[in-house]
Amino acid sequence: MNSFVYVNIFETKGLEYLLLLCFWVLFIYLVRYLSAPVKNRKDWP
Amino acid sequence: MDRRGFLKTTLVAGTAALAGNQVQAQETRNPEEFVGILVDTTRCIGCRACEVACGEEHDLLVPDVINDGALEAQRTTSDKQWMVVNKHETEKGDVYVKRQCMHCYQAACATACPTIAMEKTKKGPVIWDGGKCLGCRFCMVSCPFDMPKFEYGSWNPKLQKCTMCFERLQAGQKPACVKACPTDTLIFGTRADNLEIARHRIYSHPDKYVHQIYGEHEVGGTGYIYLSAVPFDQIGFRTDLGNKPYPEYTKEFLYAVPMVLFGVPAFLLGLNALAGSSNSAEGEAFDPDREGGEG
Amino acid sequence: MSTAVTREMGHFFQFLIQEMKPRGPWLTPFNIISVPVILTGLVILYFRFVYGLGAVTNLSQDFPWGFWLGFDVVTGIALAGGAYVITFVVYVMKVDKYQSIVRVTVLNALLAYIFYAGALLFDLGRPWHAFNPYIGNSFGFSSVMFLICWHFMLYMVAAFVEFSPVIAEWAHWEKARKILKGLTLGTVIFGITLSILHQSGLGALFLMAKPKIHPLWWSEFIPILFFVSSIYAGLAMIIFEGTISHRVFKNLIDPDSHHAFDDIIFGLAKGAAITMFVYYFMKALLFVHDKQWGLLGDGWGYWYLLEVLGFVLVPGFMFAFGFRNRSLNIVKLASILALLGIVLNRLNVSIISFRWYADVHYYPSWQEIVVTLMIIFTEIWIFRWIVTRMPVFKPAH
Repeated sequence: MNSFVYVNIFETKGLEYLLLLCFWVLFIYLVRYLSAPVKNRKDWP
Repeated sequence: MDRRGFLKTTLVAGTAALAGNQVQAQETRNPEEFVGILVDTTRCIGCRACEVACGEEHDLLVPDVINDGALEAQRTTSDKQWMVVNKHETEKGDVYVKRQCMHCYQAACATACPTIAMEKTKKGPVIWDGGKCLGCRFCMVSCPFDMPKFEYGSWNPKLQKCTMCFERLQAGQKPACVKACPTDTLIFGTRADNLEIARHRIYSHPDKYVHQIYGEHEVGGTGYIYLSAVPFDQIGFRTDLGNKPYPEYTKEFLYAVPMVLFGVPAFLLGLNALAGSSNSAEGEAFDPDREGGEG
Repeated sequence: MSTAVTREMGHFFQFLIQEMKPRGPWLTPFNIISVPVILTGLVILYFRFVYGLGAVTNLSQDFPWGFWLGFDVVTGIALAGGAYVITFVVYVMKVDKYQSIVRVTVLNALLAYIFYAGALLFDLGRPWHAFNPYIGNSFGFSSVMFLICWHFMLYMVAAFVEFSPVIAEWAHWEKARKILKGLTLGTVIFGITLSILHQSGLGALFLMAKPKIHPLWWSEFIPILFFVSSIYAGLAMIIFEGTISHRVFKNLIDPDSHHAFDDIIFGLAKGAAITMFVYYFMKALLFVHDKQWGLLGDGWGYWYLLEVLGFVLVPGFMFAFGFRNRSLNIVKLASILALLGIVLNRLNVSIISFRWYADVHYYPSWQEIVVTLMIIFTEIWIFRWIVTRMPVFKPAH
């Protein structure tokens, strides 16, 4: 019969939270980038 | 018959096995216990009498067992054959394995069916009703064993798969393949009984069998269970299917459906009310389709 | 009373017959291509219904779902997601900037559901039972397909009600228009709720196919991924479709809304950039959670990276860059890349990575592609007929 193999299903949680931090830092940059005043108004009415 | 008598035990509520005398066992037997078939692949001689019986019983292809040389190739069931016997060359010599619908305890195909055309009956077999079927083939996509087969060559296609001879069962007979088997490879009975027999064989001949009953836990348990002398991945079984019943993969999503239908409209109405208060100064100015003069 | 109604109906039919007549030249490049395709498609469908699905498709026992389901239904519906996003913004959040594209977007969604969900009828083996999920004793409550059947039907009704004031305006039914107008907010909210569920439901169809879909594409979160990606799919589709419509139907659109449309495109681009960024990180989270770095070494891994980096991250940044620099061309290019990414993702889940281990893999037959083109061209015909007659592009006046 199958023997029992222990698997830690939360092994990657630390990495996931690290990814989350990266996301928030980058996301803030993205939102700031998108809401800054327009740079190039050449073809803008 | 001794074997069966010895094994007349029962499973109460699917958890505790109570060994007892026959009378007691009969009384505590769950009348709704699913039936199933035990396949002991160590006994099969590859005569394919079951294939012939199946074809004759269900008006499907009746193979020419002597001349067709079908054992040379690995076959799958098809829209013309509900079951096939395959030969596998293994470390312990040739092993013959009968394959067909496994009649899962929690059948993915029946869960997938939008019209209950594919139905898990109270007795255990999974059957198909052509009067309801749409032909969407979601059962084929969902089945972990790829058993439902579709008649692509017909304007009025049927889904073809083993029904464990449901009509014969209702008439109190055994499935045709079991009846035809000359070597007792196939044993028909309640699944609980079959599991007892299978365990008994493994314990009595620990060197002959691998210590696994395929279908005891796989995909949450299946009606057909298998014994083997060699690891199951060597005789054509997928061993990566997991023990979780397949319907549970969609359980969370289907739970979420009424939640979303309760919550989201209310949430949206609330948002709308909030958005309205900030825009109220503009009043009539907001209206995508304008009300014209009469508004 | 009844004679008045009859006379009214008579007027309407005369009006309808008048409107049925073609307008504009017949021998346009689009007509020259589409008419033969549609006729060929009809012939193929004849063979499909007389000799079975196997006669015209490459479907097999191993590949029960092919191009008609994977592209027409699963991809087509994702691309029709624009309507629920825009109606949310305009009717629920009351952002009036996007008013002028509501009608055409809802019309696009309505037609997409009628044609692409309707394409399911060709794919069903026993389409004469298509009403079974709706009536009688055959409710497969446990089925995701059951949910999808109901939602397609209900959403078509909702989208039709949302669009109906335009029809009433076209037919000069003033009273009906006012009544139908009053239903809009309710149907919009209903439609958004349904969309959330069936966009994710199309993903949930593949949950039980776990052992057959490559682990890089199967996830228990497919429903959420499908829902989130349908948001930017819809936005990208509005940019893509709108750009073409504004070129083809130039004479139907007044110059003021041409300028307004550029502004709308940039707004949509901003929304798409943020959604794609979030979607990308969702993919990354699942990648980390399932420890899939070991799967990147082979062709499937590169294919996955191409989809996620090349067709999600890159167009996402292009949307942001195009918005920031007010470059219409970059935004339009980004929308095309994003749409290709959606097509790629949906086909990867439903067809390409399905049974990735198989020796003989499915690919669509030419008949399947012609029927798909037939569906798309017929939809464009109907779309053209409607927009040249009904006040679809007209903003509030």
